[in-house]
Amino acid sequence: MMPLKVQSLAVSFPGLATPVLSIANLEIAAGSRVALTGGSGSGKSTLLNIIAGLERVGSGHVVWGGQDIARLSEGRRDRWRAENVGLVMQDFHLFAGLSALDNVLLPARLSRVSTPDLVKRAHELIETVGLKRTGQPVETMSRGEMQRVAIARALLRKPGVIIADEPTASLDVENGEAVGDLLLSVAAGAGSTLVVATHDQRMIERLDRRIVLRGGCIVGDDVVGKVPV
Amino acid sequence: MIRFIIADLRRLWLGCAVVVLLVALATALGVAVTLQERSLRLGSARAADKFDLVIGASGSETQLILSSIFLQPAPLPLVDGELLSKLAADPRVAWAAPVGFGDSFAGYPIVGTTTTLVTSTTPGFGEGRLFAAEGEAVLGASVTLPVGAVVKPMHGTAETGGPTHTDIAYKVVGKLKPTGTPWDRAILVPIQAVWHVHGLGDEPEHEDGGTEPAATVASATHDEDHHHGGIDPDAPIVEDFGADTPGLPAILVKPKSIADAYRLRQAYRGNGTVAVFPGEVLTGLYATLGDAKMVLSAVAAGSQALVAAALVLVTVIHVGQRRRQIGALRAFGAPRVAVFLIVWLELLLLVALGIGLGFVCGLLAAQFGAHLFTAKSGVILPVGFTRDDVRLALFLLGFAAVLSAVPALLAYRQSPAQALRS
Repeated sequence: MMPLKVQSLAVSFPGLATPVLSIANLEIAAGSRVALTGGSGSGKSTLLNIIAGLERVGSGHVVWGGQDIARLSEGRRDRWRAENVGLVMQDFHLFAGLSALDNVLLPARLSRVSTPDLVKRAHELIETVGLKRTGQPVETMSRGEMQRVAIARALLRKPGVIIADEPTASLDVENGEAVGDLLLSVAAGAGSTLVVATHDQRMIERLDRRIVLRGGCIVGDDVVGKVPV
Repeated sequence: MIRFIIADLRRLWLGCAVVVLLVALATALGVAVTLQERSLRLGSARAADKFDLVIGASGSETQLILSSIFLQPAPLPLVDGELLSKLAADPRVAWAAPVGFGDSFAGYPIVGTTTTLVTSTTPGFGEGRLFAAEGEAVLGASVTLPVGAVVKPMHGTAETGGPTHTDIAYKVVGKLKPTGTPWDRAILVPIQAVWHVHGLGDEPEHEDGGTEPAATVASATHDEDHHHGGIDPDAPIVEDFGADTPGLPAILVKPKSIADAYRLRQAYRGNGTVAVFPGEVLTGLYATLGDAKMVLSAVAAGSQALVAAALVLVTVIHVGQRRRQIGALRAFGAPRVAVFLIVWLELLLLVALGIGLGFVCGLLAAQFGAHLFTAKSGVILPVGFTRDDVRLALFLLGFAAVLSAVPALLAYRQSPAQALRS
C-alpha cells in the first residue's frame, strides 16, 4: 500500500508555450481506487506516466510512500517502477512467441529477480485471473484473455500501486466488465493503490474517487465513498 | 532473456534468414579468396619442393618452371644435349635428369625422363615397378589407367589435337604413390623413348629420322614432319648421355649442397642457358598473385562494408519499428541494460551465425576450387584454416559487436513513455 503526494508538478514539452500538466497539489491515500478522466489531450496519460515513473519530472515532487521519484535517476526509476508499480495498458503489450507464463515472468526475468517462488506465484496468478493454460502462446488468445495475462503480469511482484491506462477500451462490453471486476478485486486483494485512466463509465462508477483533468489541470475531484467491489 | 531473444528471432525468421545469408555471402567471398590464394602458394611451393634447380635454354624463366615442374604444355627453346653429360660429370651435381615432353595420352602429359629422376623425386610405387625397357611407362598416382594398360602417345594435347603415333605403344608397368604435384597426372616414359618417337637421338631401327637436326617436341620451331620415329619396346634403357644427346627443353638438377646450388645457378646463367631456382620464379608469381588477391580482397571488403552498412540501416529502422515493444519492456520493469542486451545480442547472434556460415561456405568454395584446380593441374592445394583466419573471425566478430551496439544504444536511450506514445 502506498500513498501518493504530488506537489508543484509542471510538465512542459519543447515548443509548447504552456505546460501540458500543471498540478499544484494532489494526494491519493494508500489503498484507494481512483479514476482519472478527461478528454483527449487533457493530460491523463502524461499524469499516469509521471506517477508511474515513466516520464522525467521537470519540476515538482512526486512522492510515493516517502520516495520522491522525481529525484531518481532513470535507472533507479526503472528499478523502483519494477518493484512497486504494476502497469496495465490498453494494448496489453504482450510478447508474441512467448507463453502466458513466460509473458507474466518476462519483466522479472529481465530484471534477474525471478525465483521458484515467483514462478509459483505466476502460475497462481494466471489461475486467479481465470486462465487455465499457462503454456498457451499469447498470440492464440482472445483479447479478453490477453488483458488477463497483462493483469497477472502487473501483479507478479506484489506492487503497492496498480496503474491502468484505458484497460477496457479495446475490449467488448462483456470482456471489459470482466476485466474491470478483475482489476478491482485483485487490487483489493493485494491492498494496492489503484489508479485507472479511463473513459469507461461503468468502470468510473465503480471507483471511489474521480479526478477530472482538462488542459493539464485538475478541474474536478469527487470522492464518492467506498464503492463495493 | 535468451528465451525472449529466440522467440523474437523465430517470429522474424524470414528477415533473420536474409540477414544471416547476406553476412554469410560477404564473409564467404573474403574467406574463399584468402584460402584459395594461400593454398595456391602452398600447393605450388610443395609441387616445386623436389626440384632444386632447373636449367633450360635462354628465354622465359617463368615458362621454363611452368613447363618443367608444372607440366604446362608450352613450347620451350632447347638447350644443347651435351650440357646433360657436362652436368652429370660436374662434381657439384648429385644428379641431373632431362625432361622431354610434348605428347599426351587421354589428356595426361607424357613426360620422358630418367630412372634417377623418378626414384629421387617420388615416394615410391603404389603398384608395379619402374620402367626398365624403352616401351614401358609409369603412371602418376592420379592417372586413371590400370597397370598393364597400353598408352599410345598423341602429339600435343587433347585440346590442341595432333596426330597419334599409331604404331607406337607403351606398356604401363607401374603406378607411383601420390606426390601432390602435377607429376601425379603424368605418364612417365624413358627419355630415350620420347626421342625415338620423334626421330631423334641414336635410333638404330629408325628409317630416316636419325640424320635430322636436333629438335624435340617441345621446341617452338617444332614441325609435324619430325614425327616419324619408332621405338623398340624391349630395348634396354640407356642413361649414359653422350655428346650426341638431342636438344632438351629442360634439365632438372639436384646439387650436392646449397652452396653448390648457387654456384651452379651462377655458372649456367648466360651463354645460351638459364639456371633458375623454382622458388625464385614462384616468388615472382606470388607477387602477381598477391596483387590479384589484394584486388579480390578489396572487392570482398567492399561487399562486407556494404553489407555492414545495410545491416545498420535495417536494424536502425527495425529498432524504430519496435519502439513500442522496447518501450513496453522498459515500462514493465526491464532494466535499460537488459533492453540494450536484447537488441545487441539479437543482431550479434545473427551476424555471428552469418560469419560462421560464411567461413564454412568459404572453405567449401575454396575446396571446390582447389578440387577443380587439382583435377586440371595435378597440384594438390592444401585448403585449410590457420591462426590468421581465427584472427580474422575474431576481428569480424568484434566489428559485429561494435556494429550491433549502434541500434542497441538507440534502444537503450529511448524513453519508454515516448516509445509507448508513438
